[in-house]
Amino acid sequence: AGFKVFFLDPGIAYPVLAGYPWDSQDKEYVLVNNKCQCVTVTSKFVPSKENPNEEILERNIRILVPLKARENISDPMSPLRTTFVYRMTELCRKCDPVEIELGGEIYQAQQSTSCNEPETCYTYNRDKCYTTTFPFLHHGQVKDVKAVLTPASCYAE
Amino acid sequence: MTLLAFTFLLALLPAESASSRYPPKAAISSPVFGPQQVYGLLNGSVTVKCFYPPTRVNRHDRKYWCRQSATSCMTVVSSSGYTAPGYQGRASIIDSPQAENFQISMSELTMADAGTYQCGIGVNGRGLSYKVSLEVSEGPHVPEGAELFYVKLHSTLTVTCSFGEAYASKRKFLCKMVKSGCHNIIDSYGNVDKYYTGRALLSNEDTPGSFSIMITQMDWEDSGLYLCGAGVYGESGETKELDVHVYEEANVPQGKPTIFGVKGSSVTFECHYGALKTSTVRYWCKWRQQGCARIIDSSGYVSNLYEGRVAMYDNPDNKTMTIILNQLKDSDKGYYWCMAEDKKEQQSSTELKIIDGEPGLKGKKEVEVQVGSRVDLTCSYPCKYYSYQKYWCKWSSTSCTPMPASDQRQPGPDVTCDTDNKTVILSFASVAKTDEGWYWCGVKHNGIFGETMAVYLWVTEGSGASHNLELLGVDPPSRAEPPSRAEGGFIPQGRAYSDAGVQSPADSESSGESHGPNTLVLSLSCVGAVLLILVTAFAVFKYRQLKRSDLVSVGSYRTNISMSDFESVKEYSASNNACMKESQETQIGGDEFVTTTATPESAAETKKAKRSSKEDADLAYSAFLLTSSSIAQGGCSGDSAAPAASPSSEEGRI
Repeated sequence: AGFKVFFLDPGIAYPVLAGYPWDSQDKEYVLVNNKCQCVTVTSKFVPSKENPNEEILERNIRILVPLKARENISDPMSPLRTTFVYRMTELCRKCDPVEIELGGEIYQAQQSTSCNEPETCYTYNRDKCYTTTFPFLHHGQVKDVKAVLTPASCYAE
Repeated sequence: MTLLAFTFLLALLPAESASSRYPPKAAISSPVFGPQQVYGLLNGSVTVKCFYPPTRVNRHDRKYWCRQSATSCMTVVSSSGYTAPGYQGRASIIDSPQAENFQISMSELTMADAGTYQCGIGVNGRGLSYKVSLEVSEGPHVPEGAELFYVKLHSTLTVTCSFGEAYASKRKFLCKMVKSGCHNIIDSYGNVDKYYTGRALLSNEDTPGSFSIMITQMDWEDSGLYLCGAGVYGESGETKELDVHVYEEANVPQGKPTIFGVKGSSVTFECHYGALKTSTVRYWCKWRQQGCARIIDSSGYVSNLYEGRVAMYDNPDNKTMTIILNQLKDSDKGYYWCMAEDKKEQQSSTELKIIDGEPGLKGKKEVEVQVGSRVDLTCSYPCKYYSYQKYWCKWSSTSCTPMPASDQRQPGPDVTCDTDNKTVILSFASVAKTDEGWYWCGVKHNGIFGETMAVYLWVTEGSGASHNLELLGVDPPSRAEPPSRAEGGFIPQGRAYSDAGVQSPADSESSGESHGPNTLVLSLSCVGAVLLILVTAFAVFKYRQLKRSDLVSVGSYRTNISMSDFESVKEYSASNNACMKESQETQIGGDEFVTTTATPESAAETKKAKRSSKEDADLAYSAFLLTSSSIAQGGCSGDSAAPAASPSSEEGRI
């Protein structure tokens, strides 16, 4: 039984809502689109249950848990992952540098701190190529050979 | 430390900056796009074109066309070579990665073929697809589907509609379909919706009754159904349906949507043009309600109002056109378009906003000398341009030709920026009448043009400042002098007094200095007022930000985890498995997306794991050793624990 917070200040709505007023579609915005842990968070304003005249901010968190994933997705021999941890602070981090203009010059700025910590991924990012090595017995010799885990993503241009 | 400074500065930025804008949900929904409705005739054929972003993985991944049923989506035909029985010879799929689409053709249609299908990439039912509804009718007439437009984010949409000669004189319009009808965006009478100001242009084509519409800076919200027509919507005339979809492609150079120019200084616009090697005339124009007023073009034309103020540089290697506009005034704000006469070329637009400030390059804006005398045009630059290339050039309507000039920088290791003499001088040993005209002093860095400053050189015959008094008092209109320049104000003010003694620059400098103490007091009070406003604005903004922060909304999370999600997520793909005993290609593992109450799902799911189990590692290992056919047999008969061998091993895509 949590409490609901009312965002009555129209000033908050202004920077977030960038659609056209005459387009009456329900405007839902993406806050998090994390391909590493497969989480998306979107938010929109909905009429409050207690008072239909007021709007409250509703956040939809969508998590897809890959139950057959390995502890280390780059190593198919590692054991199955049984613990999945999702932290909102980590997911809401914006580590991609953003271009901003100050005094006529363009700078790249990072919007969050602690971006240097490595992220453990639970699932594959479709745009990246994942490979592994395995011991290959050939003519009595065992060599470490590279194999591809996600073929479609591993083509050269 | 700098990071902290930047994040601090970010907090001060106005709310409209990119950092606080969130993309709409459309940004993460499926980027695959196709027709919503396709109509076919009994025994006829139908072609469906589906678009996708041409990323490396999308170009090589499997494309499929599947028929949606209550539980799953069964593949009809796929690009890895599978065709379902019952569709042999009737259905085909062709992928055109360079054209960013793949086409599905179905022929000999029967009534049973009508239904819902999906065209997609990767694995069936993982969300990287588009729902297409096929209707088969007896005919004879089949309604035309909407025309599809697949536009990159921030680029330009160009639509051409023609309705025939009968409509040549009627009103032409473009409107966007909304729940309550069709909202007008632009029409041939000059009405433009205010959210499209500066972004939309309607122009008539040569053939009567046809026109084209261009909308630049396409954003996520611009996706949707549009109607272009002649007449009035809902009352008379004809319309054509357009279905527009915006997709994002990373790492594409796009022009900035808004550029800020300092009053009195200059701005540089960059226009990227497409890969088409047409030798069309390119021009730069200012957007007006009725059309776009041409300012400068690549054939040498320069509008009279902009003489001496604008120059165009072409860089075919980078496919960039650079336009420099200097002597900025408040009235220069607006939207500027880079266009090419050939409509197939990339057109783009930029908004120019004028802000107050100090120009970087300083110098006399007008110099007057007599024929035969020696003159030096000086241009002083600030420390930020210390390492840039500086140049002087003579302006003409075709280009600004560089002139040899000397940089007064002193060589030596001890010289720092503050101590150095930061001026560039263009000298004329003996001035001739032909030397009269506009000269630009500018900076360049890494091949990109920076700030410029324009100077007009007057060359007078013979003697007598008094003669020049009348001449210069009746200022010719092509001089384009903004009266509001601060440092260039000596000479115009001098002239206004009609005082012969104030003609020479030296004298007007002293008159400028006498205003010194007054301006000092004025500027100090201005600075104080500005600081006060800044502090209050910062306080207000921080307060608003606090209210908006994550801490406040702690109690309002609603999670959407259901038990079916845990059961249905299995990583095996629906494979075109030649070994499958059943006659249909079925989906192994649940199809989360194909449910009766399906709502558009995000593509996030599809972008992740396809295979991550031991069986797959084994298969990858064995695939490496053996040929594809022997794997197929081996995989089928022996390995019952791996129900669907991955497509890579089956089809030999090793």
